[in-house]
Amino acid sequence: MFICSFWLKIKIIRIQIIHILLVIRTLHNKQPLKYSIKNIQRDTNKWSIFLLTIVLFVAIPILTVFINLIYGPGETWNHLVVNLLPNYVENSLLLIFGTSILTLFFGVSSAWIVSRYCIPLRKQLEWLLILPLAIPSYITAYAYAGIFDYGGIVEKILGIRVDVMNHLGLIFVLSISLYPYVYVASRAFFLNQSNNIIEASKLLGAGEKKTFFKLILPLARPAYIGGLILVLMEVLNDYGAAKYYGINTFTTGIFRAWFSLEEPETAIYLSAILVIIIFLLITIEKWQRRKIGYFNATKNHQKVKIELISNKLKIGFFTIAFIPVLFGFLLPLFQLLYWAFLTYKEVFTFDFIYLSLESLGVAMISAFCTVFFALLLIFLSKWNRLSSMKSIAKIGVLGYAIPGAVIAIGVLIPTLSLDKWFVLFMKSVCNIKVGFIINGTILVLVYAYIVRFLAVAYNPIESNELKFGNSLSEASKILGNSNISTFIRIEYPLLKPAIFSAFILVFVDVMKELPLTLILKPYHINTLAVKAYEYASDELIAEAALPSLFIVLTGIIPILFLNRLIAKES
Amino acid sequence: MLLEVKEVKKTFNKEKIVALNNVSFSLNKGNIIAIVGESGSGKTTLIRLITGLEVVDAGTILLKNKVVSSNSIFIEPQFRNVGMVFQDYALFPHFTIFDNISYGISKLPNKKERVKEVLELVGLSDKEKNYPHELSGGQQQRVALARALAPNPELLILDEPFSNLDVILRNQLRKDVQRILKETNTTAIFVTHDIKDAIEISDKILVLQNGNVLQQGITKEVYEKPNEGYVKLLFESI
Repeated sequence: MFICSFWLKIKIIRIQIIHILLVIRTLHNKQPLKYSIKNIQRDTNKWSIFLLTIVLFVAIPILTVFINLIYGPGETWNHLVVNLLPNYVENSLLLIFGTSILTLFFGVSSAWIVSRYCIPLRKQLEWLLILPLAIPSYITAYAYAGIFDYGGIVEKILGIRVDVMNHLGLIFVLSISLYPYVYVASRAFFLNQSNNIIEASKLLGAGEKKTFFKLILPLARPAYIGGLILVLMEVLNDYGAAKYYGINTFTTGIFRAWFSLEEPETAIYLSAILVIIIFLLITIEKWQRRKIGYFNATKNHQKVKIELISNKLKIGFFTIAFIPVLFGFLLPLFQLLYWAFLTYKEVFTFDFIYLSLESLGVAMISAFCTVFFALLLIFLSKWNRLSSMKSIAKIGVLGYAIPGAVIAIGVLIPTLSLDKWFVLFMKSVCNIKVGFIINGTILVLVYAYIVRFLAVAYNPIESNELKFGNSLSEASKILGNSNISTFIRIEYPLLKPAIFSAFILVFVDVMKELPLTLILKPYHINTLAVKAYEYASDELIAEAALPSLFIVLTGIIPILFLNRLIAKES
Repeated sequence: MLLEVKEVKKTFNKEKIVALNNVSFSLNKGNIIAIVGESGSGKTTLIRLITGLEVVDAGTILLKNKVVSSNSIFIEPQFRNVGMVFQDYALFPHFTIFDNISYGISKLPNKKERVKEVLELVGLSDKEKNYPHELSGGQQQRVALARALAPNPELLILDEPFSNLDVILRNQLRKDVQRILKETNTTAIFVTHDIKDAIEISDKILVLQNGNVLQQGITKEVYEKPNEGYVKLLFESI
C-alpha cells in the first residue's frame, strides 16, 4: 500500500516536471509543441526524479532564507538599519578591500618568485607557502592577540606594544591566513604558463620588470582573481576572528540578531543581504573571466625556466617569499606551541581526549555523507537525460558560497517547524507526548555540513570523472550493463583516489568549521573548533591552544597531499 | 532489414548546431556499410544515436523491425544488443584482457570458452592475463574488437578503428578485421574519414557532409559513378 502510493506520487511529480519543463522548452526553441511533449516524456526517467529530490534537499536552506523574507523583518529591524547596518556594511567593505590588497600582494608575489627565480629553499617554500591554510583564521587571530599582548613576543623582543585588536589587525590576520588561495591559483597558472611567451617578451626588448607587470600580471588575472573570490567568501564567512577582535560584520550581526535579540526575521534579512553581496562578487568573477579562451593560447609549452639571479636579489626575493610563511604559519604555530606547553596539564584530560574523538567522529560521518551526496549529484545528473535538469543540478553546489551562519539559519527554520509539526501530530493523533526528533541531534548538523561542503567533494570527483572520459562508461553500457552496475564495476574503482581526496578535504573543512557548528551543534556534542572558541571567549586564550593545535595537525596532512596533486598535474 | 534509420535529425546547443539533417539508410543482415565524412560531418553522432548513447530530435531508428529510438520511444543501450569498438578502444584499465572480454558476457554459462574463442579469432590467445597498458596499440585494438564480438551482437559498430595506428599496422589490421567480420558473418557499420578503408571493407557506402547525406549505395557503384563535387573529389584523392 505504502509503496503503491509512493509510486503514484512519483508519477504525479513526473507529470508536473514534464509540464514545467515544457514551458521552459517551448519558450526556448521553435520545435513544434507536439514533439516537445513527447521528447520530454521520453527523456524523463527515474533518475531525473531522484536528481530533483537531491537538488531540492540541498537547496532547502537557501530557499528558506529567501522565502522567509516575505514575512518581513523583526521589530528591531528599523533600529538596526539606522544604527548598526551602516557599521556592518562599512566594516565588511573595509575587510573586503583590505584583505584583497594584502592577499593579492602576498599570494601573487610569492607564487611568481618560487616559480621563476632560483632562491634558497625554493622547493621547500613551494609547499610551506600553502601551510597557513592549515590554521583556521580565528586561531591565527587568537595567536596574534597573544603575540602582541602584554608580555607577548613582540613586547619582549622589541620592547614596544602594538594593539592588533582593531580593523587593521583583523585585515592583517585574515590576509596572512587566507592568502594561500591566491598563491595556489597563481602558482598553478605560472606552472602551466609557457616559457616561450616570456622569451618572446625578452627578445622584444622588455626587461624582467616590464615582462612581469605588462605581460605576466595581466595574463594571470583570471587565476588570482579566482583565488581572491575564495578569500573573500572566507572573509565574509568568518565569525571567530571578527568576534574576538570586536569588529561588527554581517556574520557577527546575524549571530547577534539570532541569539541576543532572538529575532530570526532580522537574522534572515541580514543573511539575504549577505548572500546578495556574495552573488555580486561571483558575478564579477564570472564577468572578468569571460574571455578566458585567449589565456591559454599556446598549447604545447615549455615550462617557465628558473632564472639565475644575483645574491643580492636572492636575499630580497627570499625575504618576500618567506614573510608570508613566517607570519602566516611559523609565528602563530610557535605561539600555540608555547601556550600549549604552559597549559597542557590542565587541558589535556580524559574529557579532552573524548572531545577530540567526538570531533573526529562528527567530521568523518559528515565527510562520508557529503561525498555520498556529491556522487549522487554527479551520477544522477549523468544518468538523467533531460538537459535542463543537468543545469538545475548545478544549484546543488552553491552552498560553498553561502556563509556558514546563513546555512545554519536556513537549516534551523525548516527543521524546527518539521519537529513542531511532528510533536503536534503525535499529540493530536496518537496522543503521545514526544520531544523534537531532528533538532538537538547530530542529523541537523550533518545536513548543514552536507549543504555547505558539497562543492568541496563535488569538484575533485567531477574533474576526475571528466578526465577519464565518457567512453569507458559508454562501453560498459553497450556491453549490456545498467547504470548502477557500470558504476560499481567501472566508475567507482577508477574514481577511488578522487573520492578519497574529496573525503579528506571535506573532513578537514568540517574540523575547522566554526560559525555553523556554533549555531547547530547538539547540546551534548562538542567539537575541537567550538572548544577553542569557548576557551577564547572565556579569556582563557592560552587554553585554546591545545584544541587549536589538534585542528592544525589534521589540516596539515591534506595540504601536503594537495600540493603534490598540483605538482603532478603540471 | 536489420537496421533502418528514417529521417533522423539531431541538433546540439539549443538547435544552433545541426549535427544530422534527415538522414536515412538501411542495412541488411551480414552487410557492412561504411560511413565516410570529415570530422564534424555528423558520422559519430549518427552511430551514437544507433547505439543509444544519444537521443534523436526527430525521426525513427529500427533494429530488427523494432523501434529503438523515436520521439516517444527510447531503448537504453544495454538492451539493444549492439556492439561497438571505440575510437580510443575504451578498454577498462583496471581489468585484465580476460576480464575485459568477459565483461559483456558475465551471464553466459560457458564464458571462459567464449573468451578463448574470440581471443583466438583476433590472434591474442597468450595475452589474457595481461592488462591493457601492457599491450601495443594494435593489440589493444584487437582486444577491443574481441570484446565487442564476444556477446554476439546483432550489429557491430566500428568508430574510426584504425585512426590511432601507423600505416603498416593499419593495412595489416584492415585485412584482419575484414576477414573476421566475414568469417563471423557480422553486420557492421564502419565509420571512417579514410576512403581507402571504406572501399576495401564495405559492401555499401554512405557519404556525409555537414549532417547531410551526399550519396549512398553499393560501394562499387558509388566508386564508379560518384556524384559531382565532394564525393568525386573524395574518390579522386586515392
